[in-house]
Amino acid sequence: MKLKLSLAARRSLEGFLFITPWLVGFCVFMAYPLAFSLYMSFTEVQVTATAINFTHVGWANYVHAFLGDNVFPVQLANFVKESLISVPIIVIFSLLVGLLINEDVWGRGVFRAIFFLPVIFSTSQVITTLFDLGAGGGSFIQRFNVFNILISALPPSLNEPVSAVLSRFTLVLWSSGVQILLILAALKTIGSTVYEAAAIDGAGRWESFWKITLPALRPFIVLTTVYTIVELSVSPFNQMLGLINSHMFSVRTGMGYAAALGWIYFALILVALVLIYTVGMRKVHRY
Amino acid sequence: MIAKTSQGSRAETIKQRLKPKWLRLRSLLMGRGMRSGLVARMIVMILLIDVALIYVYPILYMLSTMMMSTLDLVDPTIRWIPTELYWDNLAKAFEGLKYWHGLGQTVFIALIATAAQTLSCAVAGYGFARYKFPGKNLLFMLVFLTFIVPPQTIVIPLYLLYRNFGWLNTYYPLIVPEMLGLGLKGSLFIIIYRQFFLGQPQSLEEAARLDGANSLTIFARIMLPLAKPAVLVVSLFSFVWHWNDYYLPSMFISNQDMWSLVRRLQGLQQTLDEIYDVNPYGLSTMTEPVRMAGAFLVIVPILVLYFIAQRWFTESIERTGLVE
Repeated sequence: MKLKLSLAARRSLEGFLFITPWLVGFCVFMAYPLAFSLYMSFTEVQVTATAINFTHVGWANYVHAFLGDNVFPVQLANFVKESLISVPIIVIFSLLVGLLINEDVWGRGVFRAIFFLPVIFSTSQVITTLFDLGAGGGSFIQRFNVFNILISALPPSLNEPVSAVLSRFTLVLWSSGVQILLILAALKTIGSTVYEAAAIDGAGRWESFWKITLPALRPFIVLTTVYTIVELSVSPFNQMLGLINSHMFSVRTGMGYAAALGWIYFALILVALVLIYTVGMRKVHRY
Repeated sequence: MIAKTSQGSRAETIKQRLKPKWLRLRSLLMGRGMRSGLVARMIVMILLIDVALIYVYPILYMLSTMMMSTLDLVDPTIRWIPTELYWDNLAKAFEGLKYWHGLGQTVFIALIATAAQTLSCAVAGYGFARYKFPGKNLLFMLVFLTFIVPPQTIVIPLYLLYRNFGWLNTYYPLIVPEMLGLGLKGSLFIIIYRQFFLGQPQSLEEAARLDGANSLTIFARIMLPLAKPAVLVVSLFSFVWHWNDYYLPSMFISNQDMWSLVRRLQGLQQTLDEIYDVNPYGLSTMTEPVRMAGAFLVIVPILVLYFIAQRWFTESIERTGLVE
């Protein structure tokens, strides 16, 4: 007997079929590993030649991460502080560059080509190699005494992350390729008629930037911030990931502990993203 | 309409002529209304050049260093321009990377993964954009979730999973997830496609349905060809990111013959030590130009691709409605 479905039900079934491959992939390559690593984070994992044994240890891994480990909490705090400095730098920088390239200047095509170079390089080991070998020109920041004075004036708890970010300043700027693209594409969505209307009403460029451009860009700035945080959290320069990796194959702590650290790290990023998204987008809806 | 504007601008020029000279100069320098003046343009230009230098600096440094002989390198009077072009570094890097072999591996993997991802993400993005079914919003939230999970959180279970499948030291871990719309930044691509398809008129599908086309035909024959800008953006991003991909392949593939160029670059120092058996003094000075040359060799194919595709690329991004 041929199965008869209503048209609407048929349509939703078809739609569901379109995303079925993704759903299968999600279950196998994302949901299962996530659940498994969550389980692992509550166990101690022993790898022997023949098998892997999981011993349930409750919250011990998490407790140890904050109370027993003397590296992880410090690194985590440093990561948070560094992100608090570099995320705004990247977002503001991409905003500025986006606005500048959007201007009608001579040689715009060349500048565009240069500013999207980070899209190619930034995820790459190549740039790591270049910076390892001193091609970053990081010293050009330190050449300005202003920065040294600024750094020494800061309280010690901020001193370290600020100088860490400054020493990798060019590197921070190098992670803004996709963000510049986002801002540029967002600027294109604002029609020129709005600016013309504002100009007729006597608004200058300065006013129309604050009253038109910035409000219109706000959701995209939130998007850029979210993207930046995600990028930073998985970038090859991120020391947190190195730390987690080193625990993975460490005899003393092992995979269970590494999984717990991974989850703490993930939870932190998730909370930050949800916070930024809800706060940033809520303001927009008032329009 | 056109006549009106030209009339308006004629009135404008007449007004300009009536103005005293210094005012005209001022408006030329400082701009009037929405038009920016020379001063503003100069400032924008200087800023752009400054920032561009930050980006170009490492590349110039790379190009200059890789052409230096050891003598030039230790000579403090030489900063940028080597006394002669010294090709030996490139040759050594070429050998150390086993360049042609590595290039073949990298292109092969990146092409397959890109093709898989470009298609599979389009299918998923289309489903999310054009159909209603129960649980759709929840599932789309999961797409976002996939985007933000750090790979380190799931790498151990993945490793165990692939070991059970017998996939370690094969290319399957780099291709199968991509075929299902996951893998390297797959969720980002699904989101891009979804945005694109959301922007297309509903009447296209309705007309095709009236003509008797089924959903698969509509997708393959009408919607996917329409999505060219999105396809271009996704495939370029995907290709570049797969070219540079390092972390997950390094976990699942230990066989050096299967390494991509980026991983060979990472191991280049060691390879060089093995080949040339350099004396321990000043080792890093000795190999720095070679590693620079290596970095150059790894990135140059993608750089060429980028400069060819750059124009379409930026245009496509504007047309995908990536951010709407």
